[in-house]
Order: sequence, then structure tokens, then C-alpha cells
Amino acid sequence: MIAYMNRMAYRISCGISKYLWKPILIAGFFVLVALLWTFLLQHVIAYPFVFLFFGAIMGSAWFGGILAGIWSIVFSSILVTFFFIPPLYSFTIDRELRSYDAAFILCAIAITAISAARRRIETTARAARDELEERVRARTAELEQTNREILERERQLRLLTEAIPQQIWRANADGVIEYCNRDLLEFTGLSRGDLRGEGFFRIFHPLDEPLFRQSWNDARLASSRFEVQVRVRSAARGHRWFLVRGIPQRTASGEIDCWYGVHIDIEEQYQAEEALRAAQDDSARWARTLSMAEMAASIAHEIKQPLTALVAQAQACKRWLRAQPANTEKATNAAENLVRESMRASAVIDHVRSLFSEKEPLREATNFNRIIREALPLLRDEAVRRGVSIHLELEENLPPIEADAVQIRQLLINLAINGMDAMMEINGERMLTLRTESAGAAGAMLTVGDAGSGMSEEIRAKIFEPFFTTKSHGTGIGLSICRSIVEAHDGHIWAENLTPGTAFHVVLGSKA
Amino acid sequence: MMAPEPSQNKPEQKAYIVEDDLSVGQALCDLFDSMGVSARHFGSAEKFLDAWTDAMSGCLILDVRLPGISGMELQARMIERGCQLPIIVMTAHGDIPMVRKALKAGAVEFLTKPFQDEELLAAVKQAFEQDRASRQTREVTDAIRARVASLSERERQVIEMVTTGMTNREIAAKLFLSVVTVKLYRRLAMEKMQAASLADLVKMWEKI
Repeated sequence: MIAYMNRMAYRISCGISKYLWKPILIAGFFVLVALLWTFLLQHVIAYPFVFLFFGAIMGSAWFGGILAGIWSIVFSSILVTFFFIPPLYSFTIDRELRSYDAAFILCAIAITAISAARRRIETTARAARDELEERVRARTAELEQTNREILERERQLRLLTEAIPQQIWRANADGVIEYCNRDLLEFTGLSRGDLRGEGFFRIFHPLDEPLFRQSWNDARLASSRFEVQVRVRSAARGHRWFLVRGIPQRTASGEIDCWYGVHIDIEEQYQAEEALRAAQDDSARWARTLSMAEMAASIAHEIKQPLTALVAQAQACKRWLRAQPANTEKATNAAENLVRESMRASAVIDHVRSLFSEKEPLREATNFNRIIREALPLLRDEAVRRGVSIHLELEENLPPIEADAVQIRQLLINLAINGMDAMMEINGERMLTLRTESAGAAGAMLTVGDAGSGMSEEIRAKIFEPFFTTKSHGTGIGLSICRSIVEAHDGHIWAENLTPGTAFHVVLGSKA
Repeated sequence: MMAPEPSQNKPEQKAYIVEDDLSVGQALCDLFDSMGVSARHFGSAEKFLDAWTDAMSGCLILDVRLPGISGMELQARMIERGCQLPIIVMTAHGDIPMVRKALKAGAVEFLTKPFQDEELLAAVKQAFEQDRASRQTREVTDAIRARVASLSERERQVIEMVTTGMTNREIAAKLFLSVVTVKLYRRLAMEKMQAASLADLVKMWEKI
């Protein structure tokens, strides 16, 4: 209750101060100043009190509001009536001057109203301006903050592209490289300038570069993303396998704006796959050897069966003759069987031979280049496994040949594998060259060249003979099969010593 | 000793040849004929399995490579059927894993075609010998089994305990019988088993 009363008292005192004392003080101050100045000036100019008191009233209304204005009118009226309106020094007014005094008060009221209203408008306008200014300032600060955040985000994004352990590049719509991140630069050991434009393609293994270009070109035509596995040259240690993924960035209208490329290191994965493939390959090879063994067992069985019968009959014959007494009838019988079995054995051998004799080869128009392209995926796999690169030198306008494509492919594969075998031991670059060229009237020539250790003249003379081999686990059949295929096609095959290595040439004609 | 003797009316031992090649089969038959060994030729494993009876004694001469059931498979099937004919395996292609496999599966001998008559004869003789021996043991154990089967439940119990070395008193305590009763069962069982002594009985028991 007391607190309430205290609060009330405080409010009332505030109210009194605001509505009573403050206006009275302001009005009093202005009116006193006007009074003093009037005393000072009344000897210099006539009736200075009029404008001085009006000024005081205007000032009070301006600074103290309407209340101060009213107080100052009251004070002014009293003082003016007392000091300056005759009779002087009394509150009475001469009859003729009463209208004058009334006019003074009316004017004072008008000045107060106008001044206070002006002041109010002024104050409102200033408040509005202040508010506007405040708002502008806040908005500007907000914008600045946003701007800073955007810049920061951009910087972080750039840091990210620089920092992630992934190689990234950007190319324009025509495929010209515009940006490479630091990882790519560090990995390749090249500068941004080196990688600009065409220079970029040098980072790929020479064997994979055409594949990369091809994939990108295809993707550009199809306007789609592409993905390709290639080797990228490392500044530090040879090449590593990467999965390169190119993604087109489109404009709003759907046209390609630029390309983003990401290189993902798949070397370990590739090695693992390679190991797996090698293991599978080994088992496939094992299976092949097994089936060779199976075949050998079949042949052995086929031939040894009649021999077994022969030996048994011969021994039976001998036993009958040795018996006491000799059983000539049974011995003769056995001898007859012996003859019959011998004839059968001969027939069996003929049969075995017929299993291996080649049928007349098919003759169809084909082309060495086409056969090479068909066999290439197969050879590439094998070449990669053995660390051999395949170099193609194919003549475009190669004369066609009449041949059995399957057999010629077999021939090509045999020669290529033979070449790769020859390079197994060398330390230098293992390059297998497949070359085709026109051989004039003779037809077309295929050359399979290796960079192996080559061979002596003595070996070269025997190289096509069956069962001749220089390999520790070779069968000596490969090249002799090659020769029989070529001879069946009425062609020529010969070996030539290169420095280093060996080249096998095959010439086949276009007519049978 | 009253142990059973193998029956004296021995069936004639024959060489059974399983060989898909007719002329080889014929030649081997002729060879066996000249050796004085009787032989019979089968064109396939199936034919042999169809003709097989336990009475067939001698040995089996088997070609590894056969159409249909292979030689190795026939070997396995014969073991399944309880056929204990010794087996001589022949092959045109005697690689070591195959030889090992055949011998592991119980083949007596492995012949690589073509083979000498002496090799064949030696192998066949060895096989015949093995067959005879195994038949003998089989006959003995069969006879003992038959005798065991003729024992009553109580007699068998008593005999089992006797063979583990328990005394009559112990057996009586275990079976809640009097010592006299145990002695009676024991005597009856010994008679049925045709065992002259305790040692004899234990030997017989070991055989089965």
C-alpha cells in the first residue's frame, strides 16, 4: 500500500515536473530575458517589448511545448501590463489601450499555437528520419554480413577443391581445360600452364590417351557424362590407374556450359582385380593344360589299346608254342588274331591322325586390319597382364585377302603371344608391333614384331618345325600350327631378326 | 583247437576282365587261357555289376577308362556292395595321381598297357592269394558270428564279461546271479561257441 502510494507520489511528482515546473521554468526564463532586453532597449527603440515578448513566447512554445507557451503568455501579459502599458507599474489598463492588450494576447496565443505545431511536426519528421536512417544502417549491416558469409563460403569451397585428395578439373564446352586443382597438379608434377588446352592430354598413358579422347568426344556428341579407366602419369612413380569421370554442366537452356572432371584413384582396386584375373587366368591355363593332358590320355588310350591286344596275343602265341606239348592249333589262332589286331592298330592310328588333320579352310574375303581389330581386346588383356604395350601400324587401304578369318585370327594370336613370351625376360620397354601393309601382287602382309632377345640363325632355321621349342614349358606346336595355317592358305610365313627382337611376316594373297 | 576250418569245396578262381575294347578283352582271355587261368570278359562295368554274385571268387581286372561307369567308380560301387574281389587296374596312361588313387581305393596292382605276361600273371596270382585269404577270414568270422547268434541273452552277457577278464564271482555279483548259475551259463556258452579253452574263446571274440 505504501509502495503503491510511493509509486503514485513519484508519478505525480514526475507529472508535476513535466507538466508544471518544466514549462514554468522555460517560460519564466524566456520572459525574464525578454524583460531584461526590453529594459535595455526601450531607450534605444520604441516599444521593443512587443517583438521581444513575442520572441520569448515563440521560444517557450518551441522549446517547452504548448504548456510553456501558455505560461509564457500569462507571464508576458502580466509583465507587459505591469511595466509597459500605461499606466506604468500597475495592473490597470487604460481604456483605449485595452484592445491593444487583447491584440497582444491573441497574437501571443497564435504564435504559441503555430510554434508548438511547427515544433511537433519538426519533431515527428526528425523521428521519422532518424528511424529511416536506423533502418538503412541495419539493412546495410545485414547485407555486409551476408556478403561476408558468401565470400567465406566461396573461400571454403575453393579450399575444399584444393584440399580434397581427389583430382578435379574444369573444361569449357569445347573441351579446353580451364582449371585443375592442386592435387592434380601435385600428382602430375605439372603447372597449371602445362595442363592448359592440349597439354592436358599428356597426363595420360600414351596407350590410354586415344581412349580418353574418344570417350570424351563421344560424350560431347551425346551430351552425356562419361567414365573411363585410364592410367595417369605420376610425377613420382610411373603410372597409376584412375577412373576418370566427366560430367557436363548445363546452362538453363540445356546447352553444355562446362565440364567437370574427377579422377578417382583405382590403382589398388585395379591391382586386386588384376591379381584376381591373373589367378583366374592361371586356373584357366591349368584347365587348358588339363584338357591337353586329357587329350593326350585319349590318344594314348586309343593307340595303346590295340598294342595291348597285340602284346597279349603275341604272348599267348609264345606260351602255346612253349607248352609241353606245343598247342599249335591255339598258337596259330593267336597268330591270326595278331595279324588282325595289327591291321586294326593301323586303322586306329589313321583315325587319330584324322582327328588332327585340318579341314580345307574356308575362304572368304577379309582383311588383316579387321582381324587385328577383332582380336585386339583379347590381346590387350594379355598384354596388360604381361606389361606389354601393343603398337599398331595399320595401312588404311590394305588389299583384302581370301582366308578363313577364324584361322587367321588364331595365327595372329599365336604369333602375338609368341612375341609377348619372347619379351618376358627383357628389362627394356616391352612393345609388340602389329603392322599391316600392301605386298603388291602377292596380296597383303601382316608383321608381328617383338623387342625380345631375338634368336640365332640356327634357331631361326628350325623355328617352324613341330615340337621345336626354346621355352622351358613350351610345346613347340604354336609356330608349326602357324605355318600349317599359312600353307593351307597358300601363303608365306618367315621370321626376320630385328635389332633387337624378331619379326614374323605373313603374306596372304587375295585369290585362292 | 576247435576253430572252424574254411570250407574245402573252394569255388574256382577266375580273372574277371572289365574292358570296353572287345579285342583287348579277347586277347587277355586268350592269354589267360594259355596261362591256364580261367577268365571271363565283361564289356562294361554295368554288365559286371549285373552279373556279380558273392560266390564269384578270383580277381577283377579293370580298365580305368570305360564308357558309362568308370573303372574308379566301379571300384567304389563294389566296396559299397560288400564285394571284396581284389582289383587289378589297367590303364593306357599311368600317371601317378591316378595310380595313387586306384591303390588308395584298394587296388592290388596297377598295370600300364601294354604289359608283359609275367607282370599280369604275378599280379593275378597275388590277387588270387589275397582273395583266398580274405575269403578264409570271412568264412571264419561268419562261422563265429553264427555261433554268437545261437547264444541266449544271458549266455552272451556272461561270455562278454568273461572275455573282459572278470571272474565268475564278479560276474555273479554284477548280474545278481549265484556263482553256480554263472558257471552253468559259461559252460553252455563255451560249448555253443565250440571253444576248447578260455584263450580260444577270447581269440574268437577278437575276430568279430
